[in-house]
Amino acid sequence: MSLLLIEDDLQAAEYLIKGLRESGYTIDHSADGRDGLARATQNRYDVIIADRQLPFMDGLAIIASLREKGDRTPVLILSALGTVDDRVHGLKVGGDDYLTKPFAFAELLARIEALSRRSASAAEATRLQVGDLEVDLLGRHVTRAGRNIDLTTKEFQLLEYLMRRPGQVITRTMLLEGVWNLHFDPQTNIIDVHMSRLRNAVDKGFPRPLIHTVRGAGYVLKESE
Amino acid sequence: MDSRLRGNDERTMSAPRKFRLSTSRLTALFAAIFAAGIAILLTTVYILTARVLDHEVDVVIQAEVNGLIDDYRRGGVLQLVETLHRRADSWGRTGAVYLLVDAQGRRIAGNIAGWPEQIATSDAWIEFEIDASEHGGVVAHPVRAQIFKLPSGRSLLVGTDILERKQLASRLRSAMIWGTSLCLALAVPVTYFYSQRVRRRIAAVATTCESIMTGRLSERLPVEGSHDEFDELAKTVNGMLDRIEQQTSVLRTTFDSAAHDLRAPLYRARVRIEEALQHPDLASGSREVMDATLAELDRVQRTLGTLLQIAQADGSARELALQAVDLAELAREIVDLYQPEASERGLSLAFSGETHAIIRGNQQLLAQALVNLVENALKYVPASGRIDVAVETTSNEVNLTVADNGPGVPAAEREHILQPFVRLERDRTQTGSGLGLSLVAAVMRLHRGTVELSDNAPGLRVACRFQKG
Repeated sequence: MSLLLIEDDLQAAEYLIKGLRESGYTIDHSADGRDGLARATQNRYDVIIADRQLPFMDGLAIIASLREKGDRTPVLILSALGTVDDRVHGLKVGGDDYLTKPFAFAELLARIEALSRRSASAAEATRLQVGDLEVDLLGRHVTRAGRNIDLTTKEFQLLEYLMRRPGQVITRTMLLEGVWNLHFDPQTNIIDVHMSRLRNAVDKGFPRPLIHTVRGAGYVLKESE
Repeated sequence: MDSRLRGNDERTMSAPRKFRLSTSRLTALFAAIFAAGIAILLTTVYILTARVLDHEVDVVIQAEVNGLIDDYRRGGVLQLVETLHRRADSWGRTGAVYLLVDAQGRRIAGNIAGWPEQIATSDAWIEFEIDASEHGGVVAHPVRAQIFKLPSGRSLLVGTDILERKQLASRLRSAMIWGTSLCLALAVPVTYFYSQRVRRRIAAVATTCESIMTGRLSERLPVEGSHDEFDELAKTVNGMLDRIEQQTSVLRTTFDSAAHDLRAPLYRARVRIEEALQHPDLASGSREVMDATLAELDRVQRTLGTLLQIAQADGSARELALQAVDLAELAREIVDLYQPEASERGLSLAFSGETHAIIRGNQQLLAQALVNLVENALKYVPASGRIDVAVETTSNEVNLTVADNGPGVPAAEREHILQPFVRLERDRTQTGSGLGLSLVAAVMRLHRGTVELSDNAPGLRVACRFQKG
């Protein structure tokens, strides 16, 4: 899996490159916008991570230029601006995700993973299955090992979000964005409370749990080995 | 007493209406003053003219009487009769009227047929009418006359035709009525035009000011080049706006670069701590310290983020896209999001009110404001308390209220607490930036609504009023 990081803050870039290499990614780095666009056009990357404010050419201009050429490579925008409309604007010009600095590395990792898999799993499924847990999206019906599981609407949406990304680390802010369409940093552990309710419904009474907590990052839905 | 942070709506929405009222009042007032002035002028002219004319008549008659009395004194009745005979044809020429009657009222001499009916023969000034045939018809001529009693019981009547004078007076009267009416007819459109002009210019000032209040600091009041007081005022205000704009732009640039320059080192500090945490041979005590430091850094970042949001909501309303937002749905979603958390804490959190309530706004800022209100309540309301979120609509407003039965906010503090970094003394020990409610206030200003804190008896009730979208 190859990434392109366009970031002019060299110290931060160094740390990100190190962390991403350790996580198994191949990564190229550009320190300014012009060089970044050149690299992005010459090579094929799975995900491009672009800072919003860059020398010579800003992140949004790079995206606009790529999209004009028909290049649909997913782009994650990093920004120190982080006010509400910056996000909207960033996504409008064709950015695929938006992360406000400073962010936890785990958050970045989870989002890169989500972006790289997005193109693969975009198919319109009507049934989702992980292990013995089955979700019928049309009938809004959930069973585990043949047993009916009753969920509230929100619990169902949460589960669907996780089921569509099996094995991926999903952060709390990703859930807040994906399920509630809210883009903010909650000061309390609201998502954890929702997740523990979902866990109670899905995992309680079964020998092998499917929802796992990833320390310092979020949650993952997968069959445990 | 309720504290209230006013958006600009209440004033600016009703202002044009008031202007219009005062315009019509001003028009009526000016027209009335104008017309009254003209009426007084013309009435004075009429009264004075009428008096002068009457006086002239009286002087002529008096002189005639004196002349005839002289004749009488010199030559007795015979002399008088002779003079009257000589003047018998005077009616057609000078309009003079003479009549001498004996004690029984029988005519002795004169140029009228008989003593006017129902008029005594004592000394007095009288007015009566004589029917004279003219141009084949009979015209009633008014006559003013003096009666003089002669010693022998005879009475002498000397008068003059005052038809022309009456006609002149009546012409004056109708001139007065017409003049006043014409003045009124002229004054109404003219003063209406002028007050419209005043209204238009005031409305232009109000519109511009309204626009400036929404963050368009580059707008200026129109200067028409008429060099009147309005232009002078506009120039002065524009000068003031130049100054404010310049200062605001310096402030914003400073603030933006400060925020940006703070975020970069914050980001690096976070990166370094995270990097250090990856070390496998980290002492367990250090790990806790570093985790706590990370949490502190996140707090600083959040405060900075909130400050940026407040600044954005207050400063650059133009850049912020407003769309149709269903406030009821948003409130339901957020109540739903916080409901499990609330019940974990033993609190009841419930939504009531409309299914849909559309306003024009920024979804994310509204969500943030609502979240702040709910989180605030969650933080301060003790276990087994309740938090009620409601969205209600009136004919032109959408009201969002978040009410709890917690400790509330003392009346004196309610307005104060909407300002940045202001916290109640009793909450000093609680975590929090003191920015939550000021963000709510800023978001309400951006949406040109109002936020009002009041006593929920017990507890706090926060009411946000929006214009219907």
